[in-house]
Amino acid sequence: MIKFVVGRLLSALPTLLLVSVFVFLLIHATPIDPVAQILGEGASSEAKAQLAEQLGLGRPVAEQYVSWLVSAVQGDLGASLYTSLSVSESIGDSIGITLSLAIAGMAVALIVGIPLGVLGALRPGTVADRLLTVVVAAGLAVPSFWLALLLALVFAVNLGWFPVIGYTPLFEDPVGWLMGLVLPSLALGVHTAAVIARQVRSAMIEALDSSYVQTLLARGVKRGAIVLRYATKNAMVPVLAVVAIQMSVLVAVSFVIERIFAIPGLGTLLMDSVVRADYPVLQGTIVVVAVFVLLVNLAADIAYGLINPKVRPQ
Amino acid sequence: MTMEPVALADPPPSTAEDAPTARQKIGMFYRAVRQPITLICLAILALQIVIALAAPLLAPYDPLQPNVQHRLESPSSAFLLGTDDLGRDTLSRLIYGTQTALIASAQSVAIGLVLGVSLGVFVGYRGGWWDRIGMRIADVMQSIPALLLALALVAVIGNGLGKAMLAVGIIFAVGFMRVARAVVLAERERLYVDAARVLGLRSSSIMFRQVLPNIAPPLIVQASIALGTALLIEATLSFLGIGVDATAVSWGSMLDASRQHVSEQPLLAIFPGAAITLSVLVFNLLGDGLRDASSPRGVGGGKRKKPAKNTAATAEAEQNGTAKAVTTAPASAPTADAAKNALLTVSGLTVTTHTGAELVSGASFHIGKGETFGLVGESGCGKSITAAAILGLLPKGVEVTGGSVQLDGTELTGLGGEALRQIRGRRVGMVFQDPISALSPVHTVGRQLTDAIRSHSGLTKQQAEERAVELLSLVGVPAPRKRLLDYPHQFSGGMAQRVVIAGALACDPELLIADEPTTALDVTIQAQVLDLLAGLRERLNMSLLLITHDLGVVADICDRVGVMYAGQVVEVNTVRGAFNQPRHPYTEALLAAMPHGANGSEALATIPGRVPPAWAWPQGCRFHPRCTYAVEECKTGFIPLDDGVRCRRAVELKLAGAK
Repeated sequence: MIKFVVGRLLSALPTLLLVSVFVFLLIHATPIDPVAQILGEGASSEAKAQLAEQLGLGRPVAEQYVSWLVSAVQGDLGASLYTSLSVSESIGDSIGITLSLAIAGMAVALIVGIPLGVLGALRPGTVADRLLTVVVAAGLAVPSFWLALLLALVFAVNLGWFPVIGYTPLFEDPVGWLMGLVLPSLALGVHTAAVIARQVRSAMIEALDSSYVQTLLARGVKRGAIVLRYATKNAMVPVLAVVAIQMSVLVAVSFVIERIFAIPGLGTLLMDSVVRADYPVLQGTIVVVAVFVLLVNLAADIAYGLINPKVRPQ
Repeated sequence: MTMEPVALADPPPSTAEDAPTARQKIGMFYRAVRQPITLICLAILALQIVIALAAPLLAPYDPLQPNVQHRLESPSSAFLLGTDDLGRDTLSRLIYGTQTALIASAQSVAIGLVLGVSLGVFVGYRGGWWDRIGMRIADVMQSIPALLLALALVAVIGNGLGKAMLAVGIIFAVGFMRVARAVVLAERERLYVDAARVLGLRSSSIMFRQVLPNIAPPLIVQASIALGTALLIEATLSFLGIGVDATAVSWGSMLDASRQHVSEQPLLAIFPGAAITLSVLVFNLLGDGLRDASSPRGVGGGKRKKPAKNTAATAEAEQNGTAKAVTTAPASAPTADAAKNALLTVSGLTVTTHTGAELVSGASFHIGKGETFGLVGESGCGKSITAAAILGLLPKGVEVTGGSVQLDGTELTGLGGEALRQIRGRRVGMVFQDPISALSPVHTVGRQLTDAIRSHSGLTKQQAEERAVELLSLVGVPAPRKRLLDYPHQFSGGMAQRVVIAGALACDPELLIADEPTTALDVTIQAQVLDLLAGLRERLNMSLLLITHDLGVVADICDRVGVMYAGQVVEVNTVRGAFNQPRHPYTEALLAAMPHGANGSEALATIPGRVPPAWAWPQGCRFHPRCTYAVEECKTGFIPLDDGVRCRRAVELKLAGAK
């Protein structure tokens, strides 16, 4: 098992390296001039030259990349061009917030999506199933940020049940933390819930239609037990891949949701860096997100092995 | 030199391969348009395109001109959907927003298609390093969430909707590239590309003439869904105020603007969001509809057959309706005396699909206690359906519409729920064709056996495990205790079938139904499994219903045999009788088609023609179109199963037995 995990981690390294090269080139091959960005167009050429020197921009791109990579491996992602704050520290401060939001969104999606999908699969073609299909189609089409606006309008502004904006750290006030997460995670989770419900439904229908279900029925095993023990576990195999993909989608979408609820997560950090072309922050954030995506995929692979004995590492 | 091969190479592939592709494509749209939801979506999309094109004519106001006297107004006759914080008409802004949304999504998908398809075709066709590098880059691009990548690209490329959508298009290109590459890889393997290559066609012309038409259906589906995603991303980017210039009216930026005034004028937040949702919904449903229509088992394709099927089926049903009364009388006569010690009595069993096709028509036979009964016939004759009907395991949309199945006096048809469950496994066990798919791949063999055991007994987990060990050694699985912990994929086909048989025997059934139990196995294993079944029947003193298309199997282990053709039992006989003196021409034909190991040099006789589909059973004797003895009177009327044979000429014909 340990060998498998290490092997997977090692095989992810080249991809990660390419991501960093890609992001680095993307940012450096473009005409953005960070010096002009920081000092403004009207700054004196002396000041510009001094800053360029300070930022190490005169060196060849390859050299800049290598020095960035060497410090990145040591956990130093450089400093913001604007605030001069350490990128690693800024990311460290905000990543937990984004992750808790994404995980809460996934929890909503799983709690809603799996039962809905199973229900649809048990009675395909009935009125209930069609209704479900409509709900799922709507869930797939509703933009999360609109849903967030509406939820905030109804439940926070009008009814006042939840805070309108802001984030309460978990250790400061656990109840406040949870209350603050309800609306954002709902807005975040609905789309993923629809994706999961759809996947669970088709995987369940396939599982229920399978030969082993027939065999178990023929042996007199109770239908309920077959659905719960056999079909559901078999259906989870394809669903798992979707969950992994959705986890990274949730991280990206939470960036938008953070903005609506003014949550100081990675998204807020990133959005500021996009607007200001603050490339060390931009670069660092993207690489960190890519690492996260790779880790999620690794976790999915391991979980896949736990569910599906065929690919289980021996 | 090259001219001639090209001329030669062209016609065959284009007639052989392009024709079905073209038909397939037309079929796809034909079927898609027949789906009401797809049609509605197409109509909405057409309407949106018209709105986008005619925006300046349709919009009552300038979408950008502020009008501070009318700030945040509610809907009125002057402003049908109200106004925003600057007094601009919401309806006009929505109309112009349609323009922005459609242009932006079409633009990015077009970029994605052109870029992705050319890259995909290229790397797919070139293969080797090109392919590896291309796919590695695709992996990298996809390990960054699309929205994030769009944000990064926007930050780099700079603001402006066109540029933003260029970024989105680049992201889509990765997805399209994968689709195109997959199709090219599949198409490459096809013979005609090889043939064209051998004949000296240039690779680029092979790509464009042969491969591109085949990529179209999956790409159209993909593109439709991408349009929805693009629209969503455009709205998101505009909402974030990134990548959009202030002169364009976008639904996303309308939503962003509404945030400040949502408590004063909530409607501002409703309309643009609804417009986005509806548009994305239309693209998604369109994609779903096209996907259904393009897949071979698309709903539309099946439906088209039905009208033709129904007329035939109703005529058939009428005929059989009158026939059924006749069937039961003669069929029950021979069973009457035998039925006394019969374990299973099937009489007049009729199984019908919801479309009216009869899969099994009035099947009758019985199986004595301790007897092995073979049910033979070609595929599609209703053998497996008959077996499934006995245990109430018919697929959806198929049901027993007549006749009876009695197990030792208990009527099984119409039994449901718990009563049926008590029969399954406990009194009747069943073994299916493919042992590997009959076992859940993600549960241990032990789990699957103990669940079967415990569903009919109050045994504890431990006791059930002991019983499972006992069963596995009974069916000859070595090291049974250890193997309980194994998963199905760790068993060979033959061993897996032994496990499945063990599961069927878990509760000592009186009757074991084996539906083609050896068909999926290696020839060398088949005999072992048959021997096992025969031995078990003897040891456990049960009855065995063996379904097979192989008369050799019947000869080896059966006592009596029923021959099925086109949903009917056409002959019931002892095995010796059927082999020496077959009474139905179909039985004779089956015997003649039996391979003989000894004189394998002889040309194998086959039965000309094939079993007709269930909705087109022939009138009269269903075998008459393929029968060498058929005369005029065989073509009409209902022919009953009389004294074990269903043939007009049974008395006069002298048929040849097995060689």
